[in-house]
Amino acid sequence: MSPASPGGMGAVRRAGLALLGPVLALVVALVISGIVIAAIGEDPFTALQVITNLGETPAAQVQAIVVILNRAVPLFLAGLAVSVAFRMGLFNIGVEGQYRLATIMAAAAGAAVSLPAPLHVLFIIVVAMVVGALWAGIVAVLKVTRGVSEVISSIMLNFVALGLAGYLLTGPLRGSAEGDGIVTTSEIPESGRFPDLTGVLTGLGLAEPRSELFGFLVVAVVVGVIVSVVLARTRFGFDLRATGLSPSAATASGVDTRRMVISTMLLSGAVAGLIGLPDLLGADYEYGTEFTAGLGFLGIAVALLGRNSPLGIALAALLFAVLDRAAPLLQFEDIPASVVTIIQGTIVLAVVVANEIARRLARRSAEREGARATGAPPEGGGGSGPGTPPTPDVGPDGGHRIHTGVPGTPEGARP
Amino acid sequence: MATAGGPPDRPRHGGADGAGADGARAVGAGADGGGHGAGSAPLAVELRGITKRFPGVVANRDIELRVRRGEVHAIVGENGAGKSTLMKTLYGMHRPDEGTVSVDGREVVFRSPADAIAAGIGMVHQHFMLADNFTVLENVVLGSEPTRGGRLDMVEARRRINDISARYSLGLEPDALVEDLGVGDRQRVEIAKVLYRGARTLILDEPTAVLVPQEVDDLFRNLAELKREGLTVIFISHKLDEVRRVADSITVIRRGTTVGTADPRTTTVRQLAELMVGSQLPTPATRESTVRDTVVLRLAGVTVHDAAGRSLVDGVDLTVREGEVVGIAGVEGNGQAELVDAIMGLRSLAAGTLTLGSDDVSAWSTRARREAGVGLIPEDRHRQGMLLEAPLWENRILGHQTRPPAVKGPFIDRRGARSDTERIMREYDVRAPGPDTLAVALSGGNQQKLIVGREMSAHPRLLLAAHPTRGVDVGAQAVIWELLKDARAEGLGIVLVSADLDELIGLSDTLHVMLRGRLVATVDPGRVTPEELGGYMTGARTAAGAA
Repeated sequence: MSPASPGGMGAVRRAGLALLGPVLALVVALVISGIVIAAIGEDPFTALQVITNLGETPAAQVQAIVVILNRAVPLFLAGLAVSVAFRMGLFNIGVEGQYRLATIMAAAAGAAVSLPAPLHVLFIIVVAMVVGALWAGIVAVLKVTRGVSEVISSIMLNFVALGLAGYLLTGPLRGSAEGDGIVTTSEIPESGRFPDLTGVLTGLGLAEPRSELFGFLVVAVVVGVIVSVVLARTRFGFDLRATGLSPSAATASGVDTRRMVISTMLLSGAVAGLIGLPDLLGADYEYGTEFTAGLGFLGIAVALLGRNSPLGIALAALLFAVLDRAAPLLQFEDIPASVVTIIQGTIVLAVVVANEIARRLARRSAEREGARATGAPPEGGGGSGPGTPPTPDVGPDGGHRIHTGVPGTPEGARP
Repeated sequence: MATAGGPPDRPRHGGADGAGADGARAVGAGADGGGHGAGSAPLAVELRGITKRFPGVVANRDIELRVRRGEVHAIVGENGAGKSTLMKTLYGMHRPDEGTVSVDGREVVFRSPADAIAAGIGMVHQHFMLADNFTVLENVVLGSEPTRGGRLDMVEARRRINDISARYSLGLEPDALVEDLGVGDRQRVEIAKVLYRGARTLILDEPTAVLVPQEVDDLFRNLAELKREGLTVIFISHKLDEVRRVADSITVIRRGTTVGTADPRTTTVRQLAELMVGSQLPTPATRESTVRDTVVLRLAGVTVHDAAGRSLVDGVDLTVREGEVVGIAGVEGNGQAELVDAIMGLRSLAAGTLTLGSDDVSAWSTRARREAGVGLIPEDRHRQGMLLEAPLWENRILGHQTRPPAVKGPFIDRRGARSDTERIMREYDVRAPGPDTLAVALSGGNQQKLIVGREMSAHPRLLLAAHPTRGVDVGAQAVIWELLKDARAEGLGIVLVSADLDELIGLSDTLHVMLRGRLVATVDPGRVTPEELGGYMTGARTAAGAA
């Protein structure tokens, strides 16, 4: 047997299985959403058409793409923040609170200092990352020292963070005049704003959009590349992933799990701190009561859909951004904007189920591959073709895994 | 009747072996008579020719088991001999590849434990499965609650539980919270649960492992009550003295197959031990000592506590020299696992010091100890030794994240890890499609060979080998033994924890016996018999001048 061909086949199959989950989830979610839209008496295909139609004129299309990208950038960062913790088996539900607190602190700090342009932006970014990391660090410290589940503490800290941000906004960090309808921090001066990328679009010969393309897109791409290199190629990333796959094996291999919990949460929180910056430094220049909310929770959905890989998260963020863009447009067709929320919600539910199915299929296929290569037990029934059924309900080394109630192959039933 | 000696593919030699085989035959013959005598009444449980294979391993082969109605039938065998696989077959947790199961003379096929329960077979697990914050009553009915008009009928439940408790002298208090109960009481709740579901045959998996001697006496009284009421008990154990006290008949399992049956009244512990372990030593004696003078590891007064402050390892003194295999024998759960964890740095010491070479490493992290040359073949490779859903090359890195060839500075050297994994696969005969295969795809033996290869590749000074051949097939077992012996000859110090007495006696240069967290005896592996060793392990025999 040639060693290359089965390995290659395996890699292709594995990649196929990795895509299978999200695609399946997407299809299921669209079907369910379609049924819901039909149930409220609207045409699901109209809705689909609204969602996929970017506009009639080139200028409108460019504008649509800019809106989608501007929404995708914070979603991508949010998904990335969640996924970093998730790869270690930690559920950082607190991304919402981390980015809200980080953004108001960064906004206030940015407005309070005056520095030359690149340093000013860098300063704001650093403040946001540090605040996000510290807030997430509380979760880690509680978990390591007191054994508090990170799920509970990070949810609770969301409320504390939102309350704290509200207090800071109306109190010490208030920048807007007394009695204004919208309360905000002071505006960040010109030197603290991130240059936009609209020039790149017009440089490519595209029509000039009405909105500016966030320059923070570049930062998001860089952060995405860094995170993916750290996770996949470094010792730290290996320790992190190993802990996620099996905490006991990682501990036995010399990973200090407590330290890993702290450094992973700090990293996750630092990335979370960036979520609000595309809007802050690209459009709003101040944090206020109207500032974009909910990105942290959407990040959980994006991370799930993207299967925790940076590339997948980027695609998931784009998809969610496309859906979000369509929300106001749907109302012109008398379809409620909350249809988008329904689609996003069903995607998340479907993706959780589909990921698990894909994981089992991948595992099954790996076991089959291994059994073939080791020359499975001679009684395995020829064991040549891919159609040979493997013993489906047993662990590979003697029933360490207990499967109760899993029906076996029917031919085993009658002796 | 299954009275075949050892598996034919294993080397046999030495005078002791012949004696063991004779003993087996003699014992087997005695029980055969009994079996025929009861041939007229249907057997409570009968297994014929049961074979169960897992990829790469035959866990059970040609199992023959006949359990008469109303008897306590013990199944004895070493850890890893195939007892639990057999019981899972009988309890419907998986289906045998060959053979038949009969209950009360009728052939049955169990698709799930629910089928087994319906046929009157119940299992009392070694690890209790009770809800702590529920009462005894609630725990017993949990999962089969009596209802009346859709509502819980606790009156009826209470009546039935009191009835069961009185009938079998279980002394249950239905309203006591389970979290307030002791271990013995909890076990009785488990038994009541099984009885409540109408079991006529109870399987007790290592029921005495968690009990103190007085509780064992209570349990045996309960078993006598069950027997008096006509119930059948299948009692799984490896404690021979207990088995002889409580059982009416005994079936012995060795290396996956039934090797004989015995009548406890006419069989000595010695004969049972010989049946259980066979008398084959694992290898022709390459007994010339490779022990050098340099001390690799020294433990002085090492004590480990559990969360409640009880001593799991109690004042252990131990010395391992270069080229020496120090064996730790003992019934499982007597502190061996905790001792390994302590040496590895996975548990902190309550007292004592640990010296590696000339360094006091008592306060070192696991990683620092690994870097200083400690290797580990863990007891449970799935839990501590592998990332099952990661490829083999990542498993090559595991435990060696700070050292070449798999890492370069702060980065993973993917190419280096892959090529070194290929080398390990070649040199250690790991059969897998390639380094990108997921570890889960490998059979137990191949996983274990990868672990051994990985640990050896770092050239450790000290290797902790916990049950290195558990759950692997005979071929892999021989390979792993050879590897350990070669490494020993090159000056590696090895701490070998095993439940396989053959393995311990065959490989060790020094052999300690561990009981209740203490090293209670030190024996000469060249002279000790499995029976003597078993005596020390159970505390029946105490060290005279040794230790």
